[in-house]
Amino acid sequence: MATTPTDIREEGLAVEPGAAPSSGAPIRQSNLWKDAWRRYVRNKGAVVAGTVFVLVVLYCVFWPIISPYDANEVNFAEAKQDPSLAHPFGTDKFGRDLFTRTAEGGRVSILIGFGATLAILLIGVVYGSISGFVGGRLDNGMMRFLDALYGLPYLPFAIITLAIIGRTDKWTMMIALSIASWFTTARIVRGQVITLKENDYVRAAKAVGARWYRILSRHLLPNTLGVLIIAIFLELPAVILGEAFLSFIGLGISPPDASWGAMAQEGRTTYRTHPIEIVVPSVAIATLVLCANFIADGLRDALDPRTRES
Amino acid sequence: MLKFIVRRIFWTIPVLLVVIFLTFMMMRQIGGNPFRHSERAVPEAVQRNLEAKFHVNDPWWKQYAYYVKGVFTLDFGPSLVLRGQTVNDIIKEHFPKSIELGLYAFLFAIVVGVPLGVIAALKHNTAVDYGAMFFSNVFHAIPSFLVATLMIYWIALKLGAVPTSGWATWEHKLLPSIALGFAPMALFARLVRGTMLETLQQDYVRTARAKGLRYRRVVGLHVLRNSLIPVITAAGPLLGFIITGSFVIELIFNIPGIGQYYVTAVNARDYSVVMGLTVLLSVLIIFANLVVDILYGILDPRTRDART
Repeated sequence: MATTPTDIREEGLAVEPGAAPSSGAPIRQSNLWKDAWRRYVRNKGAVVAGTVFVLVVLYCVFWPIISPYDANEVNFAEAKQDPSLAHPFGTDKFGRDLFTRTAEGGRVSILIGFGATLAILLIGVVYGSISGFVGGRLDNGMMRFLDALYGLPYLPFAIITLAIIGRTDKWTMMIALSIASWFTTARIVRGQVITLKENDYVRAAKAVGARWYRILSRHLLPNTLGVLIIAIFLELPAVILGEAFLSFIGLGISPPDASWGAMAQEGRTTYRTHPIEIVVPSVAIATLVLCANFIADGLRDALDPRTRES
Repeated sequence: MLKFIVRRIFWTIPVLLVVIFLTFMMMRQIGGNPFRHSERAVPEAVQRNLEAKFHVNDPWWKQYAYYVKGVFTLDFGPSLVLRGQTVNDIIKEHFPKSIELGLYAFLFAIVVGVPLGVIAALKHNTAVDYGAMFFSNVFHAIPSFLVATLMIYWIALKLGAVPTSGWATWEHKLLPSIALGFAPMALFARLVRGTMLETLQQDYVRTARAKGLRYRRVVGLHVLRNSLIPVITAAGPLLGFIITGSFVIELIFNIPGIGQYYVTAVNARDYSVVMGLTVLLSVLIIFANLVVDILYGILDPRTRDART
């Protein structure tokens, strides 16, 4: 249990804020996060994936600002161009620069991706920690309920959710994509909470009279953080693909608004003559999903060494 | 064993009720009385009869009870938009095509994915392993609409080998089945590789080798059989995967299946059809989970008590 000493030390610091840890001889701290970072960096695939991931996000955030083109600027004189220096990804049937539009669409897709992932984690943490912490009959009932929902296809439920809200934009997409996707996260959190609950430091905290909310917020949830960070990169690809599918079948973000799914939907109308219009957003999706998968693998090795594959 | 199976089958009933309940409550939120559309003005007496027939004014729990009864007697009610059509008619017309497509995709996933995983595991940490894993990682990440459109572009349009869309002959069915099967194939390959690597290190494998059994025989007899058990457990989630994928694939290849009709029904606001199809897909998954659990219980006796 690498987490135990760290926690005790932090507890000690909180009690005695006067004792500065930097004073005195430098001790080689075996910090959980430092160890994790060292293990992560050793994994070349994960480092490459992480770098590409950050680059793609930076490109999506900043390129629309510095680009000479507007993502929605129609210019029929330059329609359906192949990649060139002026247009690295070519242009679509309306003559819009695909390099700019992909960045613009990426903003929406990534925002929906992270937004829905956070919503999934939030629901999963609340549900899972209540179930695991309270235990007993409530736990049993809550888990049976999850069993019932397990494996349900998220797409029909996302579509119905959008129909209930009656409005389709990036915020409602986040709700729709998280509504039937939080079951796995809730299970993971519950499992983690139940394992941690039996640890000696939790018993010790209970013995000295810590209230339940202190045990939960101070000991249990911080120690699920590693699992949750992994869960982010496990859920993100699913959500990004979900957005793409939903928009592609015409029930999500719809043109002229850009998202990677909406762009693919537009590209479908011209793929017979100009396939790059669907290839570009699809490859963008694939890149991000692939990176997220590798990052999740790397994080799992780094943060949870016990489950490491042989 | 029999006790386990019976218990597991009975457990399906509350699961069905919960899932139907959730779908039912969600559909109610979309709301609106289907018989109060201004463009469909009908005499008041007719209106009252219609409302009585479809239990519009009953409290929600009565409506739910009627709907559950309908589902258990396989009657999903009438379509709200298509006159004279019931949801059952629509299912009968579109469902077989989706089932066929899903089965072919599943078949493709197994026939290609399982050997790929086996080879990768046997050639662990070689170029073959890395190649197979790179291939399956990439195809796990690529959205199916790209695979589908590129296949149409190269194989149907450029080569002219098969038709671009439709669902009549086996030539029509080839590309959509492969396109839908790619992602599950990648999943199978990774899963089989992982479990095989684990099994190869088990003591009983070492024992078998120590007894002097030939490598081929050990792999065929001990490793493969035990590695395929987790693949069966993946079949449940995989079905969800294939259902999601079929929405996209049926649209691209213009296959008149459930996925394509679902989108049509949503756009036409035909909510009884949407609800019927959602419940149908959910029931399908619940039954797949049931079959998987029972199979798993038969194959691996340790799980019988842990699962209900």
